[in-house]
Amino acid sequence: MRDPTRPAPIVEMRGIEKAFGAVQALRNVDLVLYPGEILGLVGDNSAGKSTLMKILTGAYQRDAGEVFVAGQPVHFKSPHESRDAGIEMIYQDFALCGNMDVGQNIFLGRWPLKGLFVNRRKMYAEADSVLKRLKVDVNSVYQKVESLSGGRQQSVAIARAISFQPRVVILDEPTANLSVMATERLLETMLELKKQGVAQIIISHRLVDIFAVGDRVMVLKRGENVGDRYVRNTDEHEVLEIIVSGTREHALTADEAIKT
Amino acid sequence: MAFTATTSLGRAPSQIVGGWEVGLVALLLLLYLGGALVNPAFFGSTGAFHSLLRDTSRVAIIAVGVTFVIVNKDLDLSVGSTYGLVAVVFARLFAPSFLDLGVVTSVILCLLLGTLIGLVNGVLVTILKVPAFIATLTILFIGRGFVLALTHGQAIYYPAKATGYPGFFHLGETNLLGFNNQIVIFVVVAVIGAYVLAKTRWGYETFATGGNEQAASYAGIPTNWVRIRAYLISSLCAALAGLLSAAQDKGVTPLYGVSGELIVIAAVIIGGASILGGRGRVAGSCLGALLVVLLDKVLREGWPITRIIKIGDEEITVNAVFSLPVGAVPVFLGLLLIVAVLIEPYLIRRQVAGRLWAWLRGRPPPPAYEIGSIAIEGVQTKGAMATDMALSATGFGKVLARRDALAVILAVLLWLTGLALRPDYWWNLSNSFAILLNYTELALITIGLTYVIAAGDIDLSVGAVLALAGSTAAYFLKVLGADPVTAVAMGLLAGMCAGLVNAIVTVGFKLPAFIATLGMFYIARGLAAWFVAGQQLTGWPEGYNLLGRKVNDILLHYRISLSDGLLRSVAEVVSVQTIWMLFVALVAGVVLAYMPFGQKVYATGGNIRAAAYAGINTNRVRFLALMLAALCATMAGIINVAYFRSFNPVAGQFRELDAIASVIIGGGSIFGGYGTVIGALAGAAVITLIRALLQLNVQGFAMPQHWINVFIGGILIVAVLIDIWVRQANIFGRLRARLARRTRTAETTHA
Repeated sequence: MRDPTRPAPIVEMRGIEKAFGAVQALRNVDLVLYPGEILGLVGDNSAGKSTLMKILTGAYQRDAGEVFVAGQPVHFKSPHESRDAGIEMIYQDFALCGNMDVGQNIFLGRWPLKGLFVNRRKMYAEADSVLKRLKVDVNSVYQKVESLSGGRQQSVAIARAISFQPRVVILDEPTANLSVMATERLLETMLELKKQGVAQIIISHRLVDIFAVGDRVMVLKRGENVGDRYVRNTDEHEVLEIIVSGTREHALTADEAIKT
Repeated sequence: MAFTATTSLGRAPSQIVGGWEVGLVALLLLLYLGGALVNPAFFGSTGAFHSLLRDTSRVAIIAVGVTFVIVNKDLDLSVGSTYGLVAVVFARLFAPSFLDLGVVTSVILCLLLGTLIGLVNGVLVTILKVPAFIATLTILFIGRGFVLALTHGQAIYYPAKATGYPGFFHLGETNLLGFNNQIVIFVVVAVIGAYVLAKTRWGYETFATGGNEQAASYAGIPTNWVRIRAYLISSLCAALAGLLSAAQDKGVTPLYGVSGELIVIAAVIIGGASILGGRGRVAGSCLGALLVVLLDKVLREGWPITRIIKIGDEEITVNAVFSLPVGAVPVFLGLLLIVAVLIEPYLIRRQVAGRLWAWLRGRPPPPAYEIGSIAIEGVQTKGAMATDMALSATGFGKVLARRDALAVILAVLLWLTGLALRPDYWWNLSNSFAILLNYTELALITIGLTYVIAAGDIDLSVGAVLALAGSTAAYFLKVLGADPVTAVAMGLLAGMCAGLVNAIVTVGFKLPAFIATLGMFYIARGLAAWFVAGQQLTGWPEGYNLLGRKVNDILLHYRISLSDGLLRSVAEVVSVQTIWMLFVALVAGVVLAYMPFGQKVYATGGNIRAAAYAGINTNRVRFLALMLAALCATMAGIINVAYFRSFNPVAGQFRELDAIASVIIGGGSIFGGYGTVIGALAGAAVITLIRALLQLNVQGFAMPQHWINVFIGGILIVAVLIDIWVRQANIFGRLRARLARRTRTAETTHA
């Protein structure tokens, strides 16, 4: 079935099940992500998007199913373990410490050392180089994060994620708190990351953003996978229709959708 | 018909009482029956039962008011001091030896005072956004300061004049039916309170505000007014209780209402209210008050025991009563408070009883409440609140823009003020080093507290832990005759145990730090009083006292005499404790500013969730910070005893107030994430200098000692307000921006 010219998937999730008490949050969900791909994950509220991503990062434990990262079966117990495997998540509220400066936040929890002390010179120099690589403009690495605007804070969060040299970056509602300008900048940053070979998953309600940068879009509905499409072969109208009236029985994968 | 349709729902569950209250009544009955069996002389008599109800009345009236506050997710620590203050003010107004006013005027003025205190609490907590525990704790200390200042530590009695006003004073006496009128008033207050909280719109608004203040305010509920209202109710209830005590005793002592807040809050929490807000019933609070007062009486009454006394060769059994020393009762009440606070989140919220019952019947457990997880927590990042002043400034401005600059400047200014007021005395070596000694104790405590506050917690027990460590060391030296090293070790052990309990309850059981350390505040001070009870803890080997001596004294003790010169004169004035404090400060300061652990402390205090995501073990950080605070307080306590060559039960009193004020003045934030050791040291200098200045005799006038704590309390509130509004919210910057905008729009309209 699979196209032999395509590289091996970086992330593969098969048959994921998750229940919270009586509520079945995810039912037999599959997900595939290829290196350098930008996958949009869409669906209504309570469709299970965040739950699926939290299972991938290890914040939640799955009830059944398998997860492979670069072909290796994994079972993350906490987000720290998935970080070691090269998976980074950027949270909707950025998860930064407002009282600390940009450099300290980028190296939060793993400040470079010089003997017993924090190596401030190295920390700020590397923070600056990460920000430069990301082509984002933050005035100074010495600035306190709480004095930055929402978009800049997100840049810091992304820079922090990038500094781990990840293979996969998950962005949870990245444009929810951003102005139009900041959204533009974010999308540019994402394309820049794609160029560097980082696979990305965006959870978003805004199809416009996914259609602007995404390669593929996957739809979840009531905890089930109801189909995915290549962005170049579909339009917002079709995706909306899948979100509203798609069912598991009629679900088509992106490759199947091309053939029909 | 719409009305018949509702009947099919069945009876709505009662909001006045519930299963918890039934359980409390059963427990009370059991306790009382058990008590009657063990000590029939005390529990058996109707007189004792009557006095139990009478004393419960006042506590329960306050508990009714505090229930409203706690359901609102607030806290009112000031009720005990309001109760005492109202009784004292009534005495000052009414007593013939003072203002000699009429009873109606006095009562009205007292109720006005209650309203004022409630209003101050409410405005501080809601509009000015000061955390409830710190605002009401300060009001507590200020109220206590007023009580001491107004009574000069003396009791005031006015029985002769009281006979002329039977209308009012009858309220505190036994009526024709054979029971005290206070019980009638309590029942009236409780019934009104129960109905208001359970059945009226006011009550519904209170539950909504406590459950989710944001949702309540979106729904159009004026949450600020709801919270202010609760503070008004609680203060007025405390004022009413204070008036009742005045009516009963026809006089007042400065000890009225001491640790009353502990009894009341324990009562409300045992009554089923949640310290996390949104839950509580007046009936439960009243039963809780009964339980706590009963416990208090049992502890004070003592247990009948038979003791075997040897006289010569004969053994005689003697019936005696084992009773606790006076100060020891708070130990148990503090423990009770901590345990009670744990009940709600660990038993009620997890439905332990319901699940057990279902398990016994072999049924599936009841559906679990949604327990907040990472996903449900709201946005935490404070966003673009403060502008970064430190970055735009240059040169000397950069120094000024530091958060701890204010404290350094203030310290210098205060010192210069002292010099200006008493140039003859201030610039004197002995005065300077007397100040330095006072400074050392406070500075040592603030070093540890800086870590706790920077990590986003609070430790209210530092002063009490100081006393505990000091009394333990003194007890071992004097009563057990231990050698100095053992005494120091035991003092350290006691203090660290207190810190361990703080840390376990806060971090392990996830209780708010202020409530855990408040419990420890009473426990540690009660234990210290227990050790000192009936003993004169003074007079032990001088070897221990070296810890509090000047360097030269120590050298002389080891028969080393320095030759005259600079070294000698320095050694004659510098104490070893000051050197030790500076050493601790240096180590702690370097760790906090330059080492990863310090960065972790700031990260934890700034955004605990982000810190946890980044792989920082925030529990460990908070645990260590709380332990460090206890360690610093312990060292201060051990040194305190060595310096005074005795243990004084008031050692460390009000030190928590001083220490918190120092850290906040020194750039710390009550919300965590900020604070430096340099700033805290400068803040401690500010507080020490203020105390020294207030005691300064300027042209024959010196401020009375009792007023100083009122003043320090005021400073703490001002410091917290400055932190919240100037440093965090940058109110001056925003005002300037608004003014600039206004002038600009004015120009455009002209054009």
